[in-house]
Amino acid sequence: MSTPAGSALPHRSVANIRSPSGTGRHHHHSGSSTPNRSVASNLGSPSSLRADEEIIIIEFGTRRLQVGYPNDPAPRGCVWFAPEQQRRVGDFRQWQSGYRHEWRSAAAGGRWGRDHELWQYDVREVDLGLVGDKIERALREAFTKYMLIDSRPRRMVWVIPSSLPIPLLSAALDSVFSRFQPPTVSLLSSPLAVAVGAGVRTALVVDLGWRETAVTSIYEYREVDSSRSIRGGRMLVEQTHNSLAKHLPGSQRGSNSDNPDATHEYAISFEECSDIATRMVWCKPRQRPATATAPQLSDDGLATVLEQDEAEARDLPPTEAAGTVTIPLKSCSPPNSLELPFDALTEPCENAFFDTQYSPSSFDDHELPLHLLVYRSLLHLPLDVRALCMSRIIFTGGCANVLGLRGRIFDEVSHLVQEQGWDPVRGKGVGQLRANPKLKRRGARQAAEGPTGVAAQPDGGEEQDGVWHDSADTTPEVDLIEEQLKRGADKGARVHGELRAVESLGAWSGASLITHLKTPAIATIDREIWLQHGAAGASKAADVDHKNDKPQRQSLGSGGLMRGAAAASAWTLGVWGAN
Amino acid sequence: MAALTPYTYIQCPCADPSTLGHPSGPNAPTDTDADEDDRTFDPRAPRSNYSLYPLEYLLYCEDCHQIRCPRCIAEEIVTYYCPNCLFEVPSSNLRSEGNRCTRNCFQCPICIGPLAITSLETKPNPGLLAASDNTAAPHHGPYALTCSYCHWSSTEVGIKLDKPNNVHAQLARLQNGGATRLTGKERKERRADPSKAQDADGRRRGASRDGQDLDLETQFTNLKTFYQSQLADPESSDSGLAPLGDLGYSSPTSLSRIMHLYTGGGRQDKKAKSRVGAMREALGSGEGLQLAHLDESAAIAALQAAGHDGTASTTQLLEQPPHLGAAHPHGSARLAASLRPIPYLLRTKRSKRCPLCRHIISKPEAKIQTTRFRIRLVAGTYIPSLAIRALSLSSGNPPGPAAAAAAGGLLDPLKPAHFLLTFKNPLFDPIKVTLGAPAATPGRFASRVTVLCPAFEVDANTDVWDEALKDGGGGERDKERGGRERRRRKGEDGGGSGGGGGGGGGQNQLEVGKIWERGRNWVSIVVEVVPASLQAPVGGGQPGLLQEDEDVLEIPMFVRVEWEAEAGGDEVGAVVSRDREAKEKRELAYWCVLGLGRIRQS
Repeated sequence: MSTPAGSALPHRSVANIRSPSGTGRHHHHSGSSTPNRSVASNLGSPSSLRADEEIIIIEFGTRRLQVGYPNDPAPRGCVWFAPEQQRRVGDFRQWQSGYRHEWRSAAAGGRWGRDHELWQYDVREVDLGLVGDKIERALREAFTKYMLIDSRPRRMVWVIPSSLPIPLLSAALDSVFSRFQPPTVSLLSSPLAVAVGAGVRTALVVDLGWRETAVTSIYEYREVDSSRSIRGGRMLVEQTHNSLAKHLPGSQRGSNSDNPDATHEYAISFEECSDIATRMVWCKPRQRPATATAPQLSDDGLATVLEQDEAEARDLPPTEAAGTVTIPLKSCSPPNSLELPFDALTEPCENAFFDTQYSPSSFDDHELPLHLLVYRSLLHLPLDVRALCMSRIIFTGGCANVLGLRGRIFDEVSHLVQEQGWDPVRGKGVGQLRANPKLKRRGARQAAEGPTGVAAQPDGGEEQDGVWHDSADTTPEVDLIEEQLKRGADKGARVHGELRAVESLGAWSGASLITHLKTPAIATIDREIWLQHGAAGASKAADVDHKNDKPQRQSLGSGGLMRGAAAASAWTLGVWGAN
Repeated sequence: MAALTPYTYIQCPCADPSTLGHPSGPNAPTDTDADEDDRTFDPRAPRSNYSLYPLEYLLYCEDCHQIRCPRCIAEEIVTYYCPNCLFEVPSSNLRSEGNRCTRNCFQCPICIGPLAITSLETKPNPGLLAASDNTAAPHHGPYALTCSYCHWSSTEVGIKLDKPNNVHAQLARLQNGGATRLTGKERKERRADPSKAQDADGRRRGASRDGQDLDLETQFTNLKTFYQSQLADPESSDSGLAPLGDLGYSSPTSLSRIMHLYTGGGRQDKKAKSRVGAMREALGSGEGLQLAHLDESAAIAALQAAGHDGTASTTQLLEQPPHLGAAHPHGSARLAASLRPIPYLLRTKRSKRCPLCRHIISKPEAKIQTTRFRIRLVAGTYIPSLAIRALSLSSGNPPGPAAAAAAGGLLDPLKPAHFLLTFKNPLFDPIKVTLGAPAATPGRFASRVTVLCPAFEVDANTDVWDEALKDGGGGERDKERGGRERRRRKGEDGGGSGGGGGGGGGQNQLEVGKIWERGRNWVSIVVEVVPASLQAPVGGGQPGLLQEDEDVLEIPMFVRVEWEAEAGGDEVGAVVSRDREAKEKRELAYWCVLGLGRIRQS
């Protein structure tokens, strides 16, 4: 335990520490040398040795973080980010009688609800130092209140979304490395941990998160594809606000609430809308019986069918939901109690996640309705991967708690599959092609001439997507399967080809399992190396690492974190080499 | 808008942004270093909320002569205890039993009040009270946990207890609604006993076919045993060790490490892959696979029946510990009927050390019942305290409204107001104080600030009795201090709050560079502010909606304190030494924020 204290300190402040305790020490700016708790490891060696073995697992989300120990089925504590947490220490105004959060001023300038988020992925306008501060304070609260641990350095395992931008990751690492001094931080991607928490090796993880919904395909513990849509919890709360505001008496919003972008004035506070969204909002089951298959082949026909659906949905409610709900609202002026039909509470969910009144072609890539998102990401997958993924759909994230939402997405997707099969090509041309047997024959021949023979396997529907089999990274995976088949470990045992949803313990618990089983993390970052090089050192290492290591080891597909992960693993190897 | 009591916050010097790792912005570290001296601390920047502390929260390291805030302190835990029953919990229990009290301490899930154990059977008949005591009548029958504040009872969620003790263990076995379940330990015992295990397994499998889910704890243990068995599979053990076991430092098979080094990544990967290929996925519920039940119509019906009042609020849900005894609740946890009593979170007593020199700064008494501290070096005894008071002057303005506004109400925009800052020296050496404040406050609304006397000296905190014996009144004090600067005003101690209408007459002229008032170990100076108008932001344009607290006039002020203490001596309070050389010059500098009051919004 003779780690020299100086080496563990940020390099800029070493001079300050070494200086005699003379006058220079007291100057304000030389006080910058404070984060040197690493000396802690010098004293009390037996206990600190034990503490070294302790690993803390932290799952970062946009709205909360969860902490706990490995081998626990659930996290010890969960800290939500909230404006009250961001006040100064010793500011107790929230406990004063008559205190009301001035949400109107906090919401000014499009900041409605932003106080409840740790970060925004659009890092152009994010104060990274503030993100670090938020993380530090939340972690400190979690450690003191729930973990009951002292401030000895402990190794950490982070579960982070796989699309986390590097600047945010870097800010978080900066803050944690300098304030909590963990010797290492290992990174796990949350979809992977979710899959482990479900006991499957291949899965389609539908993370109904706060900021966005991410659909990630995991194949043999690797992320092979990921697609996202901004339809997430935030949109749900905004839609809840819009539909509540529409019902507020005396509001002019009723007229223009159809285009919520037009007005940015909020009538109800974020806290209240969020509360109602978690308490009362539910999701209608899929209404339409499987009808009218004829007009589906053309785009226009599809749109009209969906319109019909909406009309039916409007007709149906009186039969089913007759009850009304009273919702007290305090933050609007004047405070009010809304009497709503129970069915009206499905409206936010419909608007936020499905938007069935619009035709599928009217959505941008970033705002696909969830069922289309799931369907398309399944469609993007290679055939064999898709066969396995579709029978291991895992719903996770905060919005999975919306009653009925999981079932609705699942039903919509299975309907889409029924209706369209696994054919990525749609439109009039295809319809004609199908109608005309001559053309069809020619098309089939073209497909058969595709570069890979994999598509020859018939699975659920016709397979014509030659594009995806061209990509280079499918080859090792096919090898893997073959290898596995050769071994005959579980031939025929895997369920595939049918749509099926699987329950997962969640990302945190998955990480707890992974860590307990001492499985290596995707990347491990050493504190001292991070403090020396920072993220810049990482990217350099990644370039070196990229060629020989990534295709084999990582194979994590696209996305921001993947680069970071590969980079970080380069560090790990570097450390190994140094050892 | 309520008025605001003036306040002071101190920024711990550890919050310097340059210490926070690498600046991730485009500007290089050298730039920030250069700018640092000119940079004015902005108390309204969102980040400053994280580094500002009231003086009472700060500690002080005597050896490093530095302020220590809760962020720059190393903590060690003295004891763990339950805040309700005040029983000490051994630290070994924490990992196994969790971070909550495992005795009978519970909080109400509705209002977090403490829950009491009451018998359901007793019909307390006051006449028979003595008799029932004798026959021990109230001590049998089912028990419930009740809240004496909001009258919640655990019978509302269908929980009744058989015994009045060991409630935690009983609750672990009870579902809401009264159904029992196996705890982890019992399951382990069953597994150890094969005959029972088969039985249980069969039943569990059958149950899960029926749609009864694995509870979270069972799923976790099943998954764990499944993974462990897979990893221990002899077929996959050819790879020797966990590939790249960067979490597995505990297995120092250095030879294979070196092998890995020389063979490079490729082979490692092959091994990893072969290993991965040998592991299959979980197949049944016995192995932890749980199919999702997507039909939630029952829960929706329950929600409809419960209505808004039957659901738990967000804060109530946040207080709930994860209930491992139930299947994944997804949305149905929102119903008030699924709330459970909350076992109290344990707390700790912590001793605090300076992270640099490892000296103990704060150490509480280990006994739980006492609140005393053995060691506690609070910053208030080392750095001057700063009190703010409004000062009303009958200069220029009509005295009445101005004085009232300054005393308790709002500050009038664009009208000068005066505040009295009183620095009190806790040290036994005289200190030199130098203040620096920007001429205009940062932020959208720039108020003008003038510190009338930015450099002054505060006398030592000498023995109180010295003064008390001599101090017959204000006049004597003046005489005693004859050599020094005289008190500028007499009998105006409560001047600001008292409204001191016409008092002072010609005496109360503000003079630049002069101290307003001084006492034994304190000095008051005057700060003149011209509050900005909330209608005119700095950059021009419309003021728009005010941010929270944007109408508060906050002044950032850089305080630099210098004093001469005995060199080497740890006790700052040592008697004045004979020798000039033995003295050591000390210096402490920090930013602080003075909140003076709210500006009137016209």
